[in-house]
Amino acid sequence: MNKEQILNALGTMLTAEQINTDAEDLYDASADRYKKYAKAKKVLDNPIPTAIVYPKSAEEVKELLTFCNENRINVIPRSGKTATEGGLENWKEFAIVIDGKNLNKIINIDPYNMQATVQSGVALQDLEDELRKIGYTTGHSPQSKPVAQYGGLVSTRSIGQFSTLYGGIEDMVVGLECVFPDGHICRIKNVPRRAGGPDIRHIAIGNEGTLCYITEVTIKIFKYFPENNLFYGYLVNDVATGIKVLREVFINGYRPSVARVYSEEDARQHFYHFHEGKCVLIFMAEGPKPIADACGEGIEEAVEKFSDGIIKKVDSSLIEDWFNHLNWSQKDIDDEVQEMINNDRHSGYTTEISASWEVIPQIYENVINRIRTEFRQADDLVMLGGHSSHSYLNGTNMYFVYQYNINCEPEDEFRMYHHPLQTIIVEETLKLGGSMCHHHGIGKYRNEWTKEEHGSAFYMLEKLKETFDPNGIMNFGNIFYQEEGAKFQK
Amino acid sequence: MKIICLIKFTPDVDAFEYDYENNVLLRDKVKQIINPDDACALGFALQLKKKNPDIRIEVVTMAPPSVKKMMEDILRRQVDFGTIISDPLFSGSDTLATSMVLGTYLKTAEYDVILTGNQSLDGDTAQVPSQLAALLEIGHMSGITNIDEKSFINGAPLVEVDTENHIDTYKIPFPAILSVCRESKYKLPFVRYADLDLDVSDKLEIVDNQILKLDIKYVGLKGSSTRVVKTYVKKYEQKEKIIVYNNPEGIETVYRFLKENGYLK
Repeated sequence: MNKEQILNALGTMLTAEQINTDAEDLYDASADRYKKYAKAKKVLDNPIPTAIVYPKSAEEVKELLTFCNENRINVIPRSGKTATEGGLENWKEFAIVIDGKNLNKIINIDPYNMQATVQSGVALQDLEDELRKIGYTTGHSPQSKPVAQYGGLVSTRSIGQFSTLYGGIEDMVVGLECVFPDGHICRIKNVPRRAGGPDIRHIAIGNEGTLCYITEVTIKIFKYFPENNLFYGYLVNDVATGIKVLREVFINGYRPSVARVYSEEDARQHFYHFHEGKCVLIFMAEGPKPIADACGEGIEEAVEKFSDGIIKKVDSSLIEDWFNHLNWSQKDIDDEVQEMINNDRHSGYTTEISASWEVIPQIYENVINRIRTEFRQADDLVMLGGHSSHSYLNGTNMYFVYQYNINCEPEDEFRMYHHPLQTIIVEETLKLGGSMCHHHGIGKYRNEWTKEEHGSAFYMLEKLKETFDPNGIMNFGNIFYQEEGAKFQK
Repeated sequence: MKIICLIKFTPDVDAFEYDYENNVLLRDKVKQIINPDDACALGFALQLKKKNPDIRIEVVTMAPPSVKKMMEDILRRQVDFGTIISDPLFSGSDTLATSMVLGTYLKTAEYDVILTGNQSLDGDTAQVPSQLAALLEIGHMSGITNIDEKSFINGAPLVEVDTENHIDTYKIPFPAILSVCRESKYKLPFVRYADLDLDVSDKLEIVDNQILKLDIKYVGLKGSSTRVVKTYVKKYEQKEKIIVYNNPEGIETVYRFLKENGYLK
C-alpha cells in the first residue's frame, strides 16, 4: 500500500477529525525525548509517520489494528507523549500513531472497593484531581504527572515519586482492557487476587506497545492524609552512607513514601539553598497519623545507627518546600524546547537502573569512574551524578543524571553524548547483575541489550512477541532489537 | 579560489578557574581553544565552501607541535589542508617576529585571500594581520562584522566594519587580508560524528625553519622588539553569595542589585 491508499482506508474507518496529517504534528510524532535536541532543531532523520489517529473506542482500535496487521503497517501506540527512550520513535516508511486523546473518560470511581476505572487517554492529573475532591489519591506521582496518561503509564511500567509506599504502576493495576493486532479484545477482570494461572496482566503491563494496545485500566486508589506528612532531610558524607540508611529503613519494614539519596552533584541542582556541597538524604512519611509517626521514628532510628556518616539534619520545611515543587508540566517541556532552539543547550538526560543493596554503590562508582576516564566528550560534562529514589526490600534504583555543553551538530548530539553515556551505565549495570532499566522502559535505544537483560528468560519474551504480534507491526524496534533500525541508533 | 585562514590557539581565558585563597590562576585547568575571532573567519570560509565546493581552504598556524591534535580536528571539518609552522627557534616571538615567520611562509604560498581573526583572546593584540599585509604588500581590512558572499566570490568583497557609532561598508579587492570579529557570528562547524576518527594525517604539514630559512636574528626572542616591563596575574575577589527567596524581600534585593549595577534604569 502507498500513503494515499493508507489514508483512504483510514477514512473508511474514522471521521476526518479523527485523522491527523498535519505536517508539524507528524514531525512531532516521529520521535520522543530521546532525540529531543535534534527534534527541536528540526534535523530528525528517521521517517515521519503516515498519520496520527484518535479512536474513540476499543472497537475502533480493533478495526485499526486489524487493518494494519493485514497490511503490515507499523503501529505506534501513544498516550501522554512523555516517552524518553525512543519508545515513540518511528523507524518505518509507513506508520500509524494511535493516540489515546479521545479515550479520555473516567468510567468509574469506586471508593468502597478502592478502585477507579479509566480509559487509557485519561490524564493522571485529571484522575488525581477528581480523587482529591473526595479525599483519595492515585498514589502515583511521576514527575510527568500533569502530562502523563494511563495508557502510557501502564505500557511502560511507570513509577511515581511515592513508590516506596504505594508501589509502581504494576502494583496498582487491578484489571485492564487491551486489543491485540489480530483484533482480539481482552478484558482482564477486576479482582483482589487470584491464582488462575500466570498473572496475565503482566503481558500488557510494560509491553511498550509491542504486543497490544491498552484501552482501559482499573487501578487501586488510596485514602489521602496530607495533614500527617512528615519531612526529613540530612546532609551525608557520601552516596554509600545514604544507601545504608535507606536499606536500614526498608529492611525494618518501614514504608516512607519518599526515600532518596542524592550525590553531591545532583544535590547541587535540586537543593541549591542548603546542600553545602554534600550528599543529601531525604524522607517523607505519610498515611494515618500513627503510621506516619511510626515511620518517622523508624527513619530517625536508621539515621542514628549511621550517625558517623551524617553531617547534619536539615530544616524539614526546606524538604517540604522542595516536595511541593516536584513535577514538571507541559510548560516546562515547551520551555526546554525553546531553550534548545535559542541557546543550543538542554536540561540534560537521565538513565535509570536498579540493583541489589550490595552492588548498587559499586555500580554507581564504576559508572562515574568509567565516564570520567573513557567518555570521549568528558570535558563537556557540566554535571554528572545521580540519586536513588525508589527502594525495595532487596535493593534500590539509581537515577544517573548528566548535563553537558553541546559541542556538535544537532544531528550528532545523541550519538556523541547521551547514547555513549547510557551505554556505559547499561554495561556497568548488567556486568554486576542489575537491571538496565528501572522505570523508563527499554524503548528503542536499549533494545540491543534486551537479550542480556533477560538472559535465558528472553525466550519467554520472544515467544510472546511471536504469538501476539507475528507480523511484527507493533511498535517496530521497541524492546526487540532490529537490524533494520540500527542505522537510526548508531 | 584558494583561501588561507590564519588561526591561533589560545588559552580560554574567558573560562578559567581561579584559586581565591591563594590568588592564583589554575593554569592546568585552562583549556586551549581556537582564538574566537579566528574561528569566525574560518567559519565564514567553510560556510562559503559548503555552497561552493571548488573553494580550497588551507589553515595555517604558528604554534608548537602539541597543537597537532587540535589541527587534526580542524581538518576534519572539510578543511583541505593544514600547516603548522613550528620550530623551537620561533619560541618567544612577539607580534613582529610572528609576522616575519608567517609572512615568509605566505610569500611562497598560493592564495587569493587571507582570512583571519581581528584580535587575539589571550594577548588582546591585533597587529599581526596589519604587519603581514605590509610585508606581503597587499590590502588589509580589520574589524569586519559581515562579508558579502557574492562579491567575495567575484574577488572584491563588500565588507561591513563596525566603527562603534555606525556600520561602514568597504570594497576591498583581492589579494587582501580580512580580519573578522567574533561579533560577525560566523560559526565554526563542529566535527561530524562520522568524521570523529577520520584519518587526516596526509592533509597536515609541519614547516620548520629548515624550510623557511629565516635568519635567527628576526625570530624568537632575538627578533622581538617588544620589551615586557612587568607581568602579573590579575587578582580576583570572590563575590559574596546571597540566596533570596520568591518573596517581597527577595524581589526587593534582586531589584536593588539590578538597579545598583546599571541593569535597570
